[in-house]
Amino acid sequence: MLTQVSLSIPAGQRVLLAGPSGAGKSTLLRAMAGLLLTADQGDFSGQVLLDGDDVAETPGRVGLLQQDPLAGVVAETVGRDVAFGLENLSVQRDEIWRRVAGVLAATAFPYPSGHPTAALSGGETQRLALAGSLVLGAEVLLLDEPTSMLDVSSAQVVRDAVRRETVHRGTTLVVVEHHLGPWLDFADRLVVLGRGGRIVADGRPDEVLRRERTTLASEGVWVPGLPAPEPNRIDEGVVEPWPLEPFTSTGVRLGNTGGAAIVTASGIQVRRQAHLTGGRGTQIIALDDVDAALHRGRTLGVTGASGSGKSTLIAVLAGLLEPNSGDVMCAEHLGPLRRRRREPRPWKWRSAELAARLAWVPQMAESGVVSSTVFDEVMATSRAVGRGEGSDVARTHRRADAILETLGLSHLRDASPYHLSGGEQRRLMVAAALVHGPHGLLLDEPTVGQDRATWAAVVGCIASAQSAGAAAGLASHDLEAVTALDADPLRLEHGRIG
Amino acid sequence: MSSPGPLSLLAACLLPVLGAFAVDSARVGLWGVGVELVALGWLARDPRRSVKLLAFGILAAISIFVSTYLYGGRHLDESAAAALRIVYIVLPAALLTPVIQPAELGDHLAQRLHLPSRPVVAAVVALQRIESIGEQWRQVQQARRARGLGPDNGVVRRFTGLASTAFAVLVVSMRHTASTAVAMDARGFAAATQRTWAGPAPWGWSDSIVLGLGIGLSLFPWFLFPWFF
Amino acid sequence: MNSTRITSPLLRPHGSPARWRTIELLTAAIIGVVFGVAYWGYSSTYTALPGLKALTGPFVGLVNGPWLIAGVISGLVIRRVGAAFFAEVLAAVVSTQLGTEWGWTTVISGVVQGAGAELAFAIFLFRRFTWPVAALSGALAAVGGFCYEWFTWLPGFDLEYKLGYLGAFVISGALVAGIGGWVLTAALARTGAIDALPAGQEAARHNAV
Repeated sequence: MLTQVSLSIPAGQRVLLAGPSGAGKSTLLRAMAGLLLTADQGDFSGQVLLDGDDVAETPGRVGLLQQDPLAGVVAETVGRDVAFGLENLSVQRDEIWRRVAGVLAATAFPYPSGHPTAALSGGETQRLALAGSLVLGAEVLLLDEPTSMLDVSSAQVVRDAVRRETVHRGTTLVVVEHHLGPWLDFADRLVVLGRGGRIVADGRPDEVLRRERTTLASEGVWVPGLPAPEPNRIDEGVVEPWPLEPFTSTGVRLGNTGGAAIVTASGIQVRRQAHLTGGRGTQIIALDDVDAALHRGRTLGVTGASGSGKSTLIAVLAGLLEPNSGDVMCAEHLGPLRRRRREPRPWKWRSAELAARLAWVPQMAESGVVSSTVFDEVMATSRAVGRGEGSDVARTHRRADAILETLGLSHLRDASPYHLSGGEQRRLMVAAALVHGPHGLLLDEPTVGQDRATWAAVVGCIASAQSAGAAAGLASHDLEAVTALDADPLRLEHGRIG
Repeated sequence: MSSPGPLSLLAACLLPVLGAFAVDSARVGLWGVGVELVALGWLARDPRRSVKLLAFGILAAISIFVSTYLYGGRHLDESAAAALRIVYIVLPAALLTPVIQPAELGDHLAQRLHLPSRPVVAAVVALQRIESIGEQWRQVQQARRARGLGPDNGVVRRFTGLASTAFAVLVVSMRHTASTAVAMDARGFAAATQRTWAGPAPWGWSDSIVLGLGIGLSLFPWFLFPWFF
Repeated sequence: MNSTRITSPLLRPHGSPARWRTIELLTAAIIGVVFGVAYWGYSSTYTALPGLKALTGPFVGLVNGPWLIAGVISGLVIRRVGAAFFAEVLAAVVSTQLGTEWGWTTVISGVVQGAGAELAFAIFLFRRFTWPVAALSGALAAVGGFCYEWFTWLPGFDLEYKLGYLGAFVISGALVAGIGGWVLTAALARTGAIDALPAGQEAARHNAV
């Protein structure tokens, strides 16, 4: 994973750590925090010293923020969460609450100490984790992609908080990020970790960037100042929608000339029970009076802050949620037959009928895994809807191979989907959504965690499916993807069209 | 008077079980359930959830009634007693479970009952994951439906679907667990065998009263009922 | 470079082998919570079919197996004293929180079933984690559950019914919870999700060979 890495960081320095996925950046951070034995495995050698002391022996002096905001939450309320580290260090109760109040005030945390952590947004949760480290008097802060799962404005707020708190405390900072841009003017030093876990460049950020710009870009790092890569298109034949039964028999083919709506949602409202355990009538209105449509040959680009209802809208259009009011209807010819009539409401369809028509890429990619090898994973839906048998096998296999190739997954054909990295898993889910040829393609944040090359492949596949006659719907924080797909924009604010 | 803490509430949920053994006729059962409702009803805070929790017990009572009647010799009174025994056990849980907060329970278990700190903290952290695990559960089910593997019909398919879903949720949760363990150890949890607690664990008058009610309900069907009637 | 493992300051000392690591505690707890939710889902289906118990007589014991699986899996994955017990009890607490037909007595069931599951691993001194041990763990969990039900749910039934019920319960415990739990643990190890835990490390070593 990491080989012969030696790094010496003077107190107060702000280091940006960059490199391709899989280079071992996160592992290096955990090593620097003295936490390799908590959840990593393998053989380790070397040492990490903080002012001459072993870091593992001095809990609290090194703070760590991870990519998934939820991973750091340990208590039900804001105050108890911040207090967690102090409890572990056996601080007395009065002193705990004095320090918690102090750090919440100093970091201008927007909620009182009794506020439930479950009600915080991703960005607020990261700021809570920051407060939980600062309350222990952390001299070093290690940030592992702390903003990669946040929307643009939350990410900015988290960066500002880090900046404010570390500058006046003189905290030493090490930041790992895929997107270097927003951190550059704040960093004193840029360290680049190459594939194979060695340091390949180290120096002042502007100098390293000038020297290594093209190398970094070709390694997939998002370097500021370079335009987004061209989508890497795929042969339209392998991603075109598979004709539905009644049409193949009568010889009618779906054109790819585009425009017609295949799924239309009108005036939909979706309410959600806030808690599994709470019955106090706590319902959240996730979507309210929203109109949206998927058009053949087009992409619907749903944007908005976290919690604005993007994922819910995508799930409704994918036929996975029944709206509490309003209609979701498919185009007349797409509905499956029910006693000579076509059922137009996707949420009423049987699983196999739905899968043949609409595909969905979940936000948490690993929750979509259903098979034990990558190849079976992309074939699973084709088999479930009867396109993996008989004369269709060859065609389906050809599609699967081509799509895996484009998305950079061919060499993992026989690997377990669970062994893939987060970015690879997400691409696998995109592949699994394309192989069987759905007519509508619904994707929830498909470009998260992708480097430049794989981003181009994912966006290219969606673009090609769209020109081949599929309708796409995309929920994303990634405005570059929305632009690259020339999507029809739909912006949600608090569950309503903004 | 301060509201009762989780330990006394828990005792009041469990103690009536001892009394349930003595519910041997429909008459004792009906009186017992009535007394229980009066004794503990004032503590309930969330009627909607209580009704939901009680519904599970009522269904079970009906089914026990039917099966005891069919396989236990077709005695009506005995079958009714068996059904009411269940209601006597479930009613306190339905009334009081919504009042018991996991975090508070953790504070009390560690400080008052002196259970080891680290397992208690781990349990409380895990209990806070119920919501996110429920959300994962939903996503996995949605993903399986979208992939054509949803449980449309058939008992076998439902059961295998449940097992596959549980497995997928387990895998996802294990990965999150690793990150949470890292986050906790980064804040000194690894060495925290002796730790303090930010939340107090007081035992007040109300706790003694609730405990007393629990004891009373455990005795009622045995002694108090025969003594009164 | 030689290939010996170097113990270095990066390796944080764990104290005695009896001392649980954070990830082990959390994993046992999360197994408890996940299966608590699953138990609840399963028991909701079960409660929704009230005729089931009446129709199948003592064979109703056959449906009990799934409720014993958390303890078996936790014991197999974590391999420490108390792992099976901890997870099974927590699973019972979670399903109680969500609502079951047995109220907080579900937790008493969890305690006796967890103790039964734990006993099997203790008999083998926490050294063997093969499928027969897992099956024994599921079977003993069922026996534990039966002992408790003898006093609570079963007094109205005749002895014949009770024995039939015990047999069905044990078979289901050994097969569904025991063998099923062992299969699930092996599958879990193959995903790499438990690489930091003994069961995952053993699987990884096995693959490397």
